[in-house]
Amino acid sequence: MTIVQIAILAIVALILGRLSKGRELALLAVSAFVVFWLQPDEPFVTLRFWIPVATLGIAVLAWALTSAPEARGWKQNWPAAAVLVGVVLLMDLNRYFKLEKVYITGTPLLPLTFGGLAGIFAFVLLLLRWQKANRFWMVITFIGIIAIFSFLKTPSLVKIVSDFAVNRRGQGAGAITASLSWLGFSYIAFRLMHTIRDRQSGRLPSLTLGEYVNYVIFFPSFTAGPIDRAERFIKELRVPLSLGNEDWIDAGTRFFVGLFKKFVVADLLAVISLNDLLVSQVKTAGWMWVFLYAYAFRIYFDFSGYTDIAIGLGRIMGIRLPENFAAPYLKPNLTQFWNSWHMTLTQWFRSYFFNPFTRALRSGKRPWPVWIVILVTQVSTMVLIGLWHGVTAGFALWGLWHGLGLFIQNRWSEFTRNRMPAWAQSRHGQVALNIVSIFVTFNFVALGWLFFNLSTPIIAWRAMLRLFGSA
Amino acid sequence: MPDSIIAILEQHIASKILKQPNRRIKPDEAIISSGLIDSFSLVDLALFVEDTFNVRMDDSELNAQTFDNLDQLASIIQTRQKKS
Repeated sequence: MTIVQIAILAIVALILGRLSKGRELALLAVSAFVVFWLQPDEPFVTLRFWIPVATLGIAVLAWALTSAPEARGWKQNWPAAAVLVGVVLLMDLNRYFKLEKVYITGTPLLPLTFGGLAGIFAFVLLLLRWQKANRFWMVITFIGIIAIFSFLKTPSLVKIVSDFAVNRRGQGAGAITASLSWLGFSYIAFRLMHTIRDRQSGRLPSLTLGEYVNYVIFFPSFTAGPIDRAERFIKELRVPLSLGNEDWIDAGTRFFVGLFKKFVVADLLAVISLNDLLVSQVKTAGWMWVFLYAYAFRIYFDFSGYTDIAIGLGRIMGIRLPENFAAPYLKPNLTQFWNSWHMTLTQWFRSYFFNPFTRALRSGKRPWPVWIVILVTQVSTMVLIGLWHGVTAGFALWGLWHGLGLFIQNRWSEFTRNRMPAWAQSRHGQVALNIVSIFVTFNFVALGWLFFNLSTPIIAWRAMLRLFGSA
Repeated sequence: MPDSIIAILEQHIASKILKQPNRRIKPDEAIISSGLIDSFSLVDLALFVEDTFNVRMDDSELNAQTFDNLDQLASIIQTRQKKS
């Protein structure tokens, strides 16, 4: 998002927050519009229209699949359906309005759009009527989401499609070399999968179409999270928090601090952040550390700044989004780092992967030794979290780095637990130990960013050697 | 009643998870956000709670937002026991 877009959304949030009637529908309309508005250029021009339609379509279908019987009535859901269809048609009509600054004018012809909407509508009706097959469709949808996710996150596959599109259109003047992207899908997918899993386990609360789609595409958290939980989000969607003077100050501060972190601090640090080129140019270890630290702080300020903006915007509308960061670089061990870095994603993986997996391994007939369970579950979870960022060797290695780190930390604290020397238990000893621990943890995390940030593991390894003065 | 639940939880965490039988855990002491119990031990604690108190702990509840000290965990257990 650009700063202008954020400013516009802040004004819209202020207005939405003051609405006493029709707030939920107005929010839905704005969020649906934002899905179209922020979607970047695509190799096929019309994909900039169809991908947002798919975002809304998949959310509506997932609602049909997961909704409780009492929430399916036409009477309570037609206003939200009308709003969504209205937004899609309005965006399509831009081929006649020609508001080029707002949205593309190369949208499809109306009959095509009607066809697409009719297809979604028919499928929704089928899912709502034919309840018996829902269990089956939930599994299919879950797998489908993972498949689309894996495709979109694999750069080589995306490149094949993008190149194909560019070749077909020819390399003439004005050919866009945009690569295929689905804005917000990383987050939408994880919200949808959470509701499907919770529906399967009977924990998902009853949600109307408007509530469900609002949850999935809530515009402050649409592009970069946090990943809220449906049952928490709808409480405040239904009864927004009232805002006293202090809350206004809090929300505003949060928003402006976020802007400052992202657009001033992070953007300045970007200038001296480690990248492929710097690795080949820098000769001394000292400067390498400076650039590495710059990157470590840049990614923190960038991402947590974005989260602050989202939380601030949410608060203005009376909806409290969950925290995503809690001073992660000041933590004395890796477990606590992961309790405070991109917390909503980590929590998601714990809820739907790590915990069930650990549970299964612990309660089997012949339970595995504890250390093997910890090794297997920590490493697999962290590698998956790595791959969430992209299916590349670098992200997988970054996950492996942290998975092994968590395992080693676990074993180390097991080993030292009853072996703490007396000095370490004194007050000064604890303070000293804490400082050293924070230093070690931060540097471990910083070194991990090499795999995350540099384009290949070979470059990352070269940087690692140079940091320790051996290349 | 919650006091006895807290005592059982404290005893289990101290002896089985932390392996320090003499360790005292205050009822309002943070156990998850402080890093005292890591993610692996948390699942073990959930399994213990389920077996001992005959209540269900969902995988999505094992976090500091749901409970972060023995007081909170004990009251969750108590509420669920009353319901069933």
